[in-house]
Amino acid sequence: MRKILFMAFFLCVSATAIAQNSVSSSLFSVMEARSMGPGTMSGRVSAITGVNNDNGKTMYLGTAGGGVWKSTNAGTSYKSVFDKYCQSIGAIAIDQKNPTTLYVGTGESNMRNSVSIGNGMYKSTDGGDNWKKIGLDSTEHISKIIVHPSNSDIIYVSVPGPLWSDSEHRGLYKSEDGGTTWKKILYKDAKTGCADLLMDPNNANILFASMWQFRRQPFSFNSGGEGSGLFKSIDGGATWKEISNGLPTKPFGRIAMTLAPSNPKKMIAIVENKTTGLYISEDGGDTWKSQSATMNVCARPFYFSTIVVDPKDEKRVYRPAFEFAYSDDGGYSFSNASSDGGWVHSDMHALWINPINTNLMYLGTDGGVYMSIDRGVTWMFQQSLPVGQFYHVAFDNKDPYNVYGGLQDNGSWMAPSSSPGGVGNANWSRIFGGDGFWTVPDVDGKTAYAEYQGGNMVRVELATLKGESIQPKKTLKEEKLRWNWNTSIVTGKKNPKNLYVGAQYVYKSTDQGRNWARISPDLTTNDKKKQEQEDSGGLSADNTSAENHCTVFTIAESPLDENLVWAGTDDGNLQYTLDGGKKWTNVSMNVPKCGIASQAWVSSIQPSQFDKNTLYVTFENHMYGDHKTYLGKSTDLGKTWIRLDSKEFNSFAHKIAEDPENKNLLFLGTEMGLFCTLDGGANWFRMKNNIPEYAMVRDIQIHPKTHDLIIATHGRGIYILDDIRPIRNMNQETIGKDVYIFPTPDILLNNGRFGWGGPEVSGGWGAGNAPIKPSIQYYLKDRVTSGKATIDILDDKGNLIQSMPATIRKGINKVDWNLRGTPPRVAAGSTKMDGAGFTAPMVLPGNYTIKLKIKDKEYLSTVRCIHDNDNKDLSVTDRKLVYDKAMALQVMYTRLANTIDTIASLQAKLKADTVAFKKSKSSKVIYDDLEKVRAELMATKQTSMFADEEKIREKISELYSTFCSMEAKPNSTQLQAIESLEAELKTQEVNLDKVRKKYPGSTVY
Amino acid sequence: MKKLIALGITLFVAFQSISVSAQDLNEIVKNHIAAIGGADNWSKLKSMTSEMTMKAQGAEIKVVVNLIPKKAMRADIEVMGMNGYQIMTDKEGWSFMPFAGQTKAEPSTPDDVKAAQDNLDIVDQLITYKDYGKKIDYLGKDDVEGTECHKIALTNKEGEVTTFFIDPSTYYVIKEVSKKKANGKEFEMTKTYGNYKKLEEGIVFPMLSGGDQGEMEITKVTINKPIDEAMFQPKSLSELKK
Repeated sequence: MRKILFMAFFLCVSATAIAQNSVSSSLFSVMEARSMGPGTMSGRVSAITGVNNDNGKTMYLGTAGGGVWKSTNAGTSYKSVFDKYCQSIGAIAIDQKNPTTLYVGTGESNMRNSVSIGNGMYKSTDGGDNWKKIGLDSTEHISKIIVHPSNSDIIYVSVPGPLWSDSEHRGLYKSEDGGTTWKKILYKDAKTGCADLLMDPNNANILFASMWQFRRQPFSFNSGGEGSGLFKSIDGGATWKEISNGLPTKPFGRIAMTLAPSNPKKMIAIVENKTTGLYISEDGGDTWKSQSATMNVCARPFYFSTIVVDPKDEKRVYRPAFEFAYSDDGGYSFSNASSDGGWVHSDMHALWINPINTNLMYLGTDGGVYMSIDRGVTWMFQQSLPVGQFYHVAFDNKDPYNVYGGLQDNGSWMAPSSSPGGVGNANWSRIFGGDGFWTVPDVDGKTAYAEYQGGNMVRVELATLKGESIQPKKTLKEEKLRWNWNTSIVTGKKNPKNLYVGAQYVYKSTDQGRNWARISPDLTTNDKKKQEQEDSGGLSADNTSAENHCTVFTIAESPLDENLVWAGTDDGNLQYTLDGGKKWTNVSMNVPKCGIASQAWVSSIQPSQFDKNTLYVTFENHMYGDHKTYLGKSTDLGKTWIRLDSKEFNSFAHKIAEDPENKNLLFLGTEMGLFCTLDGGANWFRMKNNIPEYAMVRDIQIHPKTHDLIIATHGRGIYILDDIRPIRNMNQETIGKDVYIFPTPDILLNNGRFGWGGPEVSGGWGAGNAPIKPSIQYYLKDRVTSGKATIDILDDKGNLIQSMPATIRKGINKVDWNLRGTPPRVAAGSTKMDGAGFTAPMVLPGNYTIKLKIKDKEYLSTVRCIHDNDNKDLSVTDRKLVYDKAMALQVMYTRLANTIDTIASLQAKLKADTVAFKKSKSSKVIYDDLEKVRAELMATKQTSMFADEEKIREKISELYSTFCSMEAKPNSTQLQAIESLEAELKTQEVNLDKVRKKYPGSTVY
Repeated sequence: MKKLIALGITLFVAFQSISVSAQDLNEIVKNHIAAIGGADNWSKLKSMTSEMTMKAQGAEIKVVVNLIPKKAMRADIEVMGMNGYQIMTDKEGWSFMPFAGQTKAEPSTPDDVKAAQDNLDIVDQLITYKDYGKKIDYLGKDDVEGTECHKIALTNKEGEVTTFFIDPSTYYVIKEVSKKKANGKEFEMTKTYGNYKKLEEGIVFPMLSGGDQGEMEITKVTINKPIDEAMFQPKSLSELKK
């Protein structure tokens, strides 16, 4: 008996495992998220390069969080080519001998607090269509790649290495077999990496490398140390000699350097030092001279590490930094770019100069890509690159709803989720400046809260964008308030009039920030050693609030009880109050027992919408070099925890979101991808759905009315996955079926809520709109590779309304029915195309049958079409009138087509007897008389689309199309026009009869 | 015994699907060729006439394609009572699309003619690739509309790549992406295939083809019926060449 039970148990477990394993993103691949962009403001671009012998048409861009983009038209348009891989890009190099071979080093090296991490090197041999991972997996940050100009097998990669921890994976690497194997050829120590690399274009054995000692901690940054220095090799990296003649006394910080391709002996370096300066060498780096330079040239060397000499002109030097500077005297003096044409985004990191036409250049900034055609004097912004770095996203309850979010170095923005003509760049509005973070609408529909770095927050009147500062201030007895770089501003989930913000305390306002109550003590560890931000930066002081620590990072009011509020801090405390803030309980000490790192940063809290005692929390510890995915669940207010984990996870977690209707449906946003579980966290799959597979997902919201999943990415803008009900409603029973039609929600009979404003101009970014009506959705266990698949729509009497092709993909399928019948047949023989054959009247309210035919089997479902009562211009009676008139016109149109066919048939018969036709005068006369009638019925003479000819068919067609799209009571002239057309058609039918009667003996009748 | 054989086959198939990543590229191509009727049957194909329809929300477009492999192709298109055509030979091409405003046949650019040559040989490219000096590479597996497919890149002498996605359960191509350069720009064309059907001549043919413009259903295929080659000249050619 035990054996039988064991076997039964084993079978059950196996069956469950198989069933659960069959749930993957591919099941839902038909559900494609809309990339909302925008392109009107973009994100940090970290690398730009192009193919030298292609007139600059083929270019590649690397971004801080949006992967690699390719243009084959010099930047007119870009295409993402790295969606399946790590999205943080440090460097790109093209093998100019074989320009379809390129290398990407992941992990940007602009080492700010919010920088992401990479996972190694990738190679493509087909221009970016396919990629292969080729090692250096643990390097985390890569700053430059150089391919040997004459030997494609030799590649150099400079690796600053991990930002947050010691690592032996730093240094300069060389491959002599096209990236198959790697050898470290320059290494100092576990704290010092290789920041920059140069190769002499006249002698590829001469290399220069700058080494950089640096380290971040969650609460400080240090650039500089004894490890930093400048090195030269004359034997392809086999041996190295440190260069120091003329350079300042060590320690150094980060060194940016360049040489003139037209005269490689001429070199320029910006050396971070106690006093950062610019140095020029005229002898290939052997000796250097200090040169005075502007603040912009020397500012923030850890962040601005690019300096470039024109490929043809050694005197022309470019310094993209806080602003764009150029020199015409070899780096001795610099001017800043003109602001003609408008503001150019500050904070610049990448520059590519077309080597053929050196007037043409591309600049990568914190806000996207700019193009110059005048050697960098003026710049044009390219608005088609949606790589904005959002921190958070929020929504309101308008219809259509708006999304709100703040971006790294790009302020706070909002946009409608749908808009006439589709959401485009023009729909996005900036509502506040600075670095943007939480941007939250108030329930009043007129107000939003926004902030810039360090908790500088405002209440914004959306109609005018006037902002009033609302930041709480400390009292005399309180310590200085500590505001996180990304200060939490949230409204209540239970009571949306509650507004919470967090310093080291939690503050609450019930009057839109006009008055605040401090509702907590210091909830952090208040570790003073982590509060010395004024000393942060290392050799160059850098204290922009990015390192502020011991702060409340996340606040969440329970959706079930407004007195239950949770707060999580950046130093690992997790506390709650049950009484609106009178008493707080710290549960952080309970968390590590489930395998989550002790005192890890609390990145998000999701109190359950189904049970007050249940909550989900993400923790992240990457600032201590720990990239594990930490997601915890407690069902007893934090006393005990279980860790939800998966082998699918591979990076630190930012956000957990619970579906408002299905408690087992959870979404997890991580630094490398979006994940979903349908079984409460037991099994997870990576979501693709037109979202980059390794997208940096910072925030997730689920709209309760539209069922949309709204995703904030730190590098690919906002995504909206419209209507996730197919995911919400998927279950094991459905997965087991061969075919299943999901219930179709009632469909409102209308043409959608928006008109069309014409095509969007080129060069922007379009997100489209949410579907205007529900699709017919069905599940196929397997793809239909043989046999037909169709969908028929039948009315309640069983009459066929329309037959459509059905899609055949494995998993969920979606087919859109246009709510119309079958268009009429169009008569042949006109010189003008007629549109009536593309449309039919919208069906009347009622129940319709959906008949899905897969091979020889039929599956039935129903859908109810209902009158749209919101449209006050069209009553049910009017709708019936419009429908009847449209059908009358369709009948008239078909009658006309039949008449034309009759004439064509008679004419064909006349012409068929060629001999008789040539000899018989009467045959020709009959033919011509018939042609006169035909020419009145339809356009027969129009020879150009610009010379419109209108006959009876065109008139009927125009009126028919008008009635088919009509959503208001028809006006009197429209109704009269039907009668006029009926008379005109009748006249020609009579004329045809006359022709027949005129020649009664003709053999063609 | 039969049950044992069936079980054996099941286990073998299961094993195959597990170890498919190690499967030899040539084996995949061999299985694909067998699945579509074998190279011999395809080599007997001398002409093909296909009648197709494209349906969109109840409206219908009709297309008839006449093709003599490696020589010429003509597609006659009927849209809303108007007729147009596109002709492509191994040397020239024309299009007459009155619904797009054309009033006479207009010549194709040399780049368009070059780009269309692959389509002139109806025989599956994975059968003929060696004849044209093309090479194939296995790129692993990739998801196509929910189906994990073998991904095979076929590269011609100019370096242009067509990628085939083969369903491992049937060895049919269910998606094809070709990338070409013409008229100074790079463009990508994607086709999907379905409703594979064995024809009397032994070849297995997709009766459903989807692309950027919509989905075409082939309603009738006629093989090796004589085709009047005069149809591969536009009516207004003499005028065109003045």
